[in-house]
Amino acid sequence: MASDPSVASASRLGFTLEDSSISFDLDETVYPLDAVYGAGYLFLDRCFVFLSRPADRMVRVRLTAREAAAPALLDLLAGEFGNELLSQVTRLRLSTATARIREYYTAAALRAAATSPSIDDLLSELEAEELAEDPLEIMVPWEEKHGTESGEAASKKERG
Amino acid sequence: MAQERSFDRSLYLPEAVRAAVDAFAEHALIELSQREGAMVVVLRDAGSLDPALVLDELSNHVLFETIVRRRREDA
Repeated sequence: MASDPSVASASRLGFTLEDSSISFDLDETVYPLDAVYGAGYLFLDRCFVFLSRPADRMVRVRLTAREAAAPALLDLLAGEFGNELLSQVTRLRLSTATARIREYYTAAALRAAATSPSIDDLLSELEAEELAEDPLEIMVPWEEKHGTESGEAASKKERG
Repeated sequence: MAQERSFDRSLYLPEAVRAAVDAFAEHALIELSQREGAMVVVLRDAGSLDPALVLDELSNHVLFETIVRRRREDA
């Protein structure tokens, strides 16, 4: 980030201060435009963000406070913008570095989804199965298992 | 007195500038023109509103529209 040395500045960060605004220049080879957009987007509700081109491959960012602001507050704003800018650059680099492996996993997941049986297929499979053995007599109704009289007594006990 | 702001085409999408001008048309008298490499917005009359504030808000809207449109294109 560069400041304009020809303008007097009280900025602790060395940026250019004007009436309620602070400006700094970014080298696009260090901070890609997408990162500037990413940071700018997050600051739109906090201040006014204006971009210009002081030179080729350079982006000037001017942050204007929504209300009158002291140099210290403007420095804070610019400092936070700078931090967010760094975060956006990191995010972009990670995204680029992991693009191929993400594409691979997405394709693998789609392939698996295409070949896996549907719920209808699974239900049909279950219906077709013959449950010939039932050693724990799960399929046998309770009344049948314990006899009619015992079953009535048990039912009364439950209701009591 | 008219105030103008220039939006560099390499930083702002022309359609985003147009969209913002359309959005602000009911609040102020705004003209749009083109200069080499830039779209120029001229605020002629802001009514009872602070012209600087109108331009600042419009600029934010242009940036917002630019970012949203670019992300839509990338998606």
